[in-house]
Amino acid sequence: MGKADRTSGAFWFLFSLLLSYESYKLGLGTVRQPGPGFLFFWTSIIIAFLALTVFLTSLKKKARTESIKSVFVKSSLLKLLLVLSSLFIYALLIEWLGFLIVTLLLFLFLLGVIEKKNLGFTILVSLAVTALSYLIFEVGLESQLPKGPLEFLRF
Amino acid sequence: MDPIMMEIFQNVMYGFEVALQPVHLMYCFFGVLLGTLVGVLPGLGPAAAIALLLPATFKVTPVAATIMLAGIYYGAMYGGSTTSILVNIPGEAASVVTCLDGYQMARKGRAGPALGISAFGSFIAGTLAVIALTFVGPPLSNLAIAFGPPEFFSLMIVGITVLTYLSSGSMIKALIMAGVGLILSGVGMDTISGKYRFTFHLRSLLDGIGIVPVAMGLFGISEVFLNLETEMKRDILSSRIKNLFPTLKDWADSIWSIIRGSILGFFLGIIPGGGAVVSSFASYAIEKKVSKHPEEFGKGAIQGVAGPEAANNAGAGGSFIPLLTLGIPANPVMAILLGALMIHGLQPGPMLIKNAPDLFWGTIVSMYIGNGMLLVLNLPLIPLWVKVLKVPYYLLYPLILLFCLIGAYSLENSAPDIIIMLIFGILGFLMKKFQYDGAPLILALVLGQKLETSFRRSLIMSHGDFSIFVSRPISLAFLITAFLLLLIPILTQRKKLSALRGD
Repeated sequence: MGKADRTSGAFWFLFSLLLSYESYKLGLGTVRQPGPGFLFFWTSIIIAFLALTVFLTSLKKKARTESIKSVFVKSSLLKLLLVLSSLFIYALLIEWLGFLIVTLLLFLFLLGVIEKKNLGFTILVSLAVTALSYLIFEVGLESQLPKGPLEFLRF
Repeated sequence: MDPIMMEIFQNVMYGFEVALQPVHLMYCFFGVLLGTLVGVLPGLGPAAAIALLLPATFKVTPVAATIMLAGIYYGAMYGGSTTSILVNIPGEAASVVTCLDGYQMARKGRAGPALGISAFGSFIAGTLAVIALTFVGPPLSNLAIAFGPPEFFSLMIVGITVLTYLSSGSMIKALIMAGVGLILSGVGMDTISGKYRFTFHLRSLLDGIGIVPVAMGLFGISEVFLNLETEMKRDILSSRIKNLFPTLKDWADSIWSIIRGSILGFFLGIIPGGGAVVSSFASYAIEKKVSKHPEEFGKGAIQGVAGPEAANNAGAGGSFIPLLTLGIPANPVMAILLGALMIHGLQPGPMLIKNAPDLFWGTIVSMYIGNGMLLVLNLPLIPLWVKVLKVPYYLLYPLILLFCLIGAYSLENSAPDIIIMLIFGILGFLMKKFQYDGAPLILALVLGQKLETSFRRSLIMSHGDFSIFVSRPISLAFLITAFLLLLIPILTQRKKLSALRGD
């Protein structure tokens, strides 16, 4: 974990500096009357110290350094990014298009595009999962999922 | 009869009255069934399962909800062993160690006795833990009523320290995670000053960061990403599983392992930061040490299955004690359960036993019933679980993702919660890649607000004198424990534990 630790150590160090600044801005108060930033300021300082330790210890591990790239499996990176993007798009569209449409689209994408399953299978499974999950969560458990343009259906 | 015993007896009877109501029996059944399923499915642990099923409990009473969510937890302990034994893939973290000997037993054609002894061992341990819980809970609850802010602050520090001490990998990294969790707990409005903190003018952060989206991200989404990255190879044993009932020799070989595992698991479960995962590893190490044939461990020793399986179930039972009596979750699963109880308008802690006796005793007694259900359910349903295991991952992961998406959305009917979950999913994925443990983060996130309030109230009480934390004996004892955990070089043991985990 040579270079990887160096990267994560540096990240948490910078992150803790930002947090300590934010906590300081909130007001530290006094020891008698600690302010809203008091605990978090000191916590950030401790994190900074710990992150620095991770960073400095990693410098000693130079001999068996690994690159950050080796931490990730390169061949799957595109697949991961595509799945992740589809989930973010799902979150952005769910209230606009409604649960039924976005869920159907998500499954069509995951099975058809990412997993490259044949069209018939993809459509069948996507329709079945969308309908079943709607029945379980909306009808059975009354989860109040957004309906979007299909609101007129009232089922 | 002793009046205390009489009171406990009456309470247990009351618990039976609550737990045996048909609706509660039904939720108990659903809980253990879902728990077993979650335990069987690799890539979906009990923490994520409880988190994503939480919205499904909003429409039911808090008692029914708690009974079901508790059932998921201890049910998962049973289910987890099935995949460890048959596929060599632990269904959840507490069953990692079962792979070592369970899978070897299966390869030698002894999958049946391995599954059988783990089910019976789990049942015995689970029941023993619940009996102990019945007796330990009330006195601990009475003791905790005397706790003031300094005691609570110190106890929470111990909890976080224990978890960082026991978490896999580097302790420094675990402490960083605990710190990050603590800071995340501060997001939103400060209850003392009324000021907004770390919201960066984002409306979705005004109410703070919920435990559930964070847990689903860290434990659910990130696990899917990891599995997507490295295709899971599953080598399911195709031979028929026979002789599920262990022979007399199997019993003779494993009964003491089960008893030792039960006691160890229960006590490790009580300690904040402990729980099922740690118990199973510790039990394996002990069994190997006391065995006359340690060389057989890793090659299919039945004690290597019986001990850890008993320990993880007893640990699961034991970890309910700090939650129900002190309001302190012992591990991430309990942390989510705490969140669930709070959503249902309950405040777990010393007063819970008095304010909601139906919930306290009903849940405890439901565990007796649930353990019985699991025993009946597990053995005959093993062929079904094997079929579940054969569901290809290209179908499974979209379903897990969908459950997470629905779960995160339904909490507050808000899309930003999905975004928070996804962000923590990415963070969880990166954390696993860079070997940071998510458990201290989630525990600190849950305890954070209470910890900060106790800390500030203690200082206000003492007019800024920090000695308040060391001048009160209980608080001092907690802090000494935390200090020792941070300092004493028991590192050798930690290293051994890490080596056993294969870190």
